[in-house]
Amino acid sequence: MRIRAERDDLADVLARAARAVGTRSPQQILQGLLCDVRGNRLEVTGTDSDVTIRTTLEVEVLEAGRTVVPAKLAAEAVRKLPVGAVTLSAEEGEVEITGNGPRFRLREFVVNDFPDIPDTIEAPLVEVDGEAFVAALAQVGVAASGDDARPTLTGILFEAHDDGLRLVATDSYRLALRDLPGIAAGETSLVPYRALREIGRTIADAKLGVQLDDRQAAFSSARGRMTARVIEATFPNYRQLLPDEYPNRLSVSKAALLDAVGRAALVAEEHIPVRLSLSESGVELSVTRQEVGEETEHIEAAYSGEEMTIAFNTRYLTDGVGAVAGDEVVLETIDPLKPGMLSGGSDGFQYLLMPVRL
Amino acid sequence: MRIVVADCTVQYEGRLNAFLPPATRLVMVKADGCVAVHADGGAYKPLNWMNAPNDFIEEEGRWIVINPKGERLTITFNEIHFETAMEMGDDPGLQKDGVEADLQKLLADSPGEIEEGLELIRREYPTPVGPVDLLCRGIDGATVAVEIKRRGEIDGVEQLTRYLEFLSRDARLGEVRGIFAAQQVKPQARTLAEDRGIGWIEVDYDRLRGIESTRLTLF
Repeated sequence: MRIRAERDDLADVLARAARAVGTRSPQQILQGLLCDVRGNRLEVTGTDSDVTIRTTLEVEVLEAGRTVVPAKLAAEAVRKLPVGAVTLSAEEGEVEITGNGPRFRLREFVVNDFPDIPDTIEAPLVEVDGEAFVAALAQVGVAASGDDARPTLTGILFEAHDDGLRLVATDSYRLALRDLPGIAAGETSLVPYRALREIGRTIADAKLGVQLDDRQAAFSSARGRMTARVIEATFPNYRQLLPDEYPNRLSVSKAALLDAVGRAALVAEEHIPVRLSLSESGVELSVTRQEVGEETEHIEAAYSGEEMTIAFNTRYLTDGVGAVAGDEVVLETIDPLKPGMLSGGSDGFQYLLMPVRL
Repeated sequence: MRIVVADCTVQYEGRLNAFLPPATRLVMVKADGCVAVHADGGAYKPLNWMNAPNDFIEEEGRWIVINPKGERLTITFNEIHFETAMEMGDDPGLQKDGVEADLQKLLADSPGEIEEGLELIRREYPTPVGPVDLLCRGIDGATVAVEIKRRGEIDGVEQLTRYLEFLSRDARLGEVRGIFAAQQVKPQARTLAEDRGIGWIEVDYDRLRGIESTRLTLF
């Protein structure tokens, strides 16, 4: 196998595919990238066996063939070469990367050891606006758990709702939900957020193809393809958590609230909440940490309902307010011990947040 | 405890081969059969060690230590500068911090919080390598050794593994299994425990104390 390509283009396809490669994989072969040269294209595949990313690039093909290169090292080696054309070749157990002087000779991994990744999904392909879809995943993903001990909570639920797709994530303290009207949902699937958050960095493009079946989720664009094994677990019955109505409603500037919570977080710690005292004059934020001190401030806002004080974890509140689109944030509450709902404009995003007991 | 300070070389053959070239080192042979080779530096980790049980073969100018897995430590003495041995007696063990000791007491009072149907046999059940926090009887009839930590890390799993190894040699206890209980069990500790067939559980200290948590959850 032997190809020639521009340094930046080659570094880009290697680095994007390498994002699927785990740093601590017990199998050495999974620390490699499969480079497959056919026709006039180089196809690069990286996988950790759960998530697979495939990128492609049109290259000057001097000799077709396949090789597996050490992922991080090869990607970095190409990136650090002088600008210009780069040659990548593999022969007799060695991979050579050269360009304008420097020459890397790296040990080649055994090509036949690279796992055969099933790439076909028997599900209809739904085309979505790539930028909007990635933004929606990021909005909902803030509520996904990072705790692998509860895998059900590490994914985003894809399900049909009305005439569109609904995305839902929860870590049991908060729940984020976003409706995307007009997108055919296909099969209900729970897709690991660890995979979904890579879409924006690897294959996102103006148009994105989405396919879901009961085993895999696939996302494809002109820049590449990602497949992820879905989480085989039952997502919590989130609908029963969504109150029918809220008697209290605060409408406040998103920027003002974010700034204020950010200041409160300077004094608070993870376990110390920020208190929100809601009244007709707006909202007063306060935080007290016995051994450090306190911070208070008032933000003018529109409020209807009973005067009340409710407290939230500062990080969870920041995540929710930050994820709301638009300039105004609406916080709806029932009482200080029931979940509050954050929402924004009419983008179908809702963020249900459990308060902290005072 | 036998203590030797000597110029020696050490050869380890097992999962890998390692060699310590000639130098002055401290060699300790503990009452339970553990052997450790220390350099004159570092707070706790020996250069080389073999956990008990071991076969200990003492030859002229050479000690050979072999564990049940066939790993072998050969210490060849060139010159012995100092040697002594003494009976140290039973160690009272590490005084646990308040939370850990309290957790042990609370879980001993309510072993069902660890596993449904679990019944306490004894707290601080002695083994040759130290006392296991709780020895219980499971609903399946098995003897269950429970190690309790505030923070559940790999060391705790290793400790429980050692207890289980010794407990399983006592035919009177029948089938023995282990549960690692902590306020928070780290991912590496979970993986190691699962790999060794040891159960693990995170326990809510506040709830055990009857204090309602301030962290409310949606479900």
